[in-house]
Amino acid sequence: MSAGSLAGVFPVLTIGALMCSMPAVTRPTVQFGIRVPRERAGAPVIRRERRAYYWRTAAIGACCTLVAVTTRDYGSWWLSKIILLLELAAGLSCFLVARRKIAAVKNADGWFAGLRQTVVADTSWRTDPPRFPVRWLVPALAVMAATAAVGALRYPGLPAYIVTGSGHRVPKSAVSVLVVAGQLYFTAVYSGLMLIVYRSRPDIDAADPAASTLRYRRFLAATTRALLTMAALADLGLLLIALPDWQVYRLSGIGRALPVLPFAAGVLLLGAVAARTGQGGSRLNGNVRGLALAAGTDRDDDQFWKAGLVYVNRDDPAIVVGARFGVGWTPNFGNPVAWLILAGTVAWWAGLAVIGAAAGM
Amino acid sequence: MLLSIEPDGPVPIYQQIRDRIVEAIARGRQPAGSALPPIRQLAVDLGINFHTVNKGYDLLRQEGLLRLGRKSGAVVRRDAGSGPPDPAWARDWTGRLQTLLAEAAAQGMPATGIVRECEAAMADFAFPDAAAEAWQGSGSPP
Repeated sequence: MSAGSLAGVFPVLTIGALMCSMPAVTRPTVQFGIRVPRERAGAPVIRRERRAYYWRTAAIGACCTLVAVTTRDYGSWWLSKIILLLELAAGLSCFLVARRKIAAVKNADGWFAGLRQTVVADTSWRTDPPRFPVRWLVPALAVMAATAAVGALRYPGLPAYIVTGSGHRVPKSAVSVLVVAGQLYFTAVYSGLMLIVYRSRPDIDAADPAASTLRYRRFLAATTRALLTMAALADLGLLLIALPDWQVYRLSGIGRALPVLPFAAGVLLLGAVAARTGQGGSRLNGNVRGLALAAGTDRDDDQFWKAGLVYVNRDDPAIVVGARFGVGWTPNFGNPVAWLILAGTVAWWAGLAVIGAAAGM
Repeated sequence: MLLSIEPDGPVPIYQQIRDRIVEAIARGRQPAGSALPPIRQLAVDLGINFHTVNKGYDLLRQEGLLRLGRKSGAVVRRDAGSGPPDPAWARDWTGRLQTLLAEAAAQGMPATGIVRECEAAMADFAFPDAAAEAWQGSGSPP
């Protein structure tokens, strides 16, 4: 197996595994993007649909990985992308099927009828806000500094055109610019997004507000550290891509897959942290004695979630909110600032693609 | 402090915010000098329009319970320990109490029943002094 085909199979396998494990890390009061009262989280329809989803997505992931492995040395680079797209589409269909069935029972039986639906804010979140773990940026910055140092040392001695690992002949400046811009992307964009998340609201469980706020604090701290470590590993992967191009060393065969390893380690780390904490810290233990002051049920907010995945609420000033399926955050598409940030991220990628295309990569 | 509102309930949201904060001050959870989140941040945390929070905070400011500053944010101005209330406020409160009594009388509640309800409500309500003693007995305040 060559480095190129490994890089093609790895995302198919990873996405398949992630898709399959999503319901396990999502909070129990949100099933396939549908808000359910806590006492209904174990309803027969939910148990049945979860089981079906696990089986279906596991089969899809296994089939797609098998196809990716068998066809790895045929076709072009786009074959693995097509397999990935098909896999995502099939996973999404499984999600939508489960969602439709649960929603039907929820609406027919009136699961929220007569319940006191509340939204809870913990003011200590603002008066005693969590601190961004700045020190965890050090590894990423160190890798960037090392990259800059190696680049500066090697650059003057390189020929005007170099042959990259993928066999393209490109100007030496293009490779260097892309590596540095890529590292800047992972470090700056990840930190920037996490800073926005730190200003956003915690996911508070209305039935257990004080304990869920504490759990969210631990979840946020663990996830931020994992993301900043992931940024450092991604930067390291880019450095390992650049080193052969800068003619520091040369690897052949499977050795050329070396840069994939840091990325893979980062994804595994994020997956492990997500599996431990669950969305918003829902899998963590944590109780605060005698603080069930606001016993209520979470508000049924399905109306703001398109297809259970996309949050659009113009009245909500939040830029990002906790994701509805899986672990993480998602933009509020009802807020123009979220669109601006999204456009900025896309523009960055487009800029990199244009540089790459102009250099003939 | 945990601030709980019912967005789809019959009471307007700004009124709920105002009521919950008054209760927190009365029970000693937000003593004089303690900070409340700035308007925009509380709006984000509750997922509501910030004009709604602004309206609730403004009610509290008019009642003399909250001080709103550009830099200092929202700070509780007074609590049960800050001395007797403003005479104008006391007159206003007596007026509202009259309305509340009139509601009970209009619905046919006898005077003895009203007194009994009032006594039960007083016994139920944890006044700050009693609350302070209870906290000292159980450790840290909530």
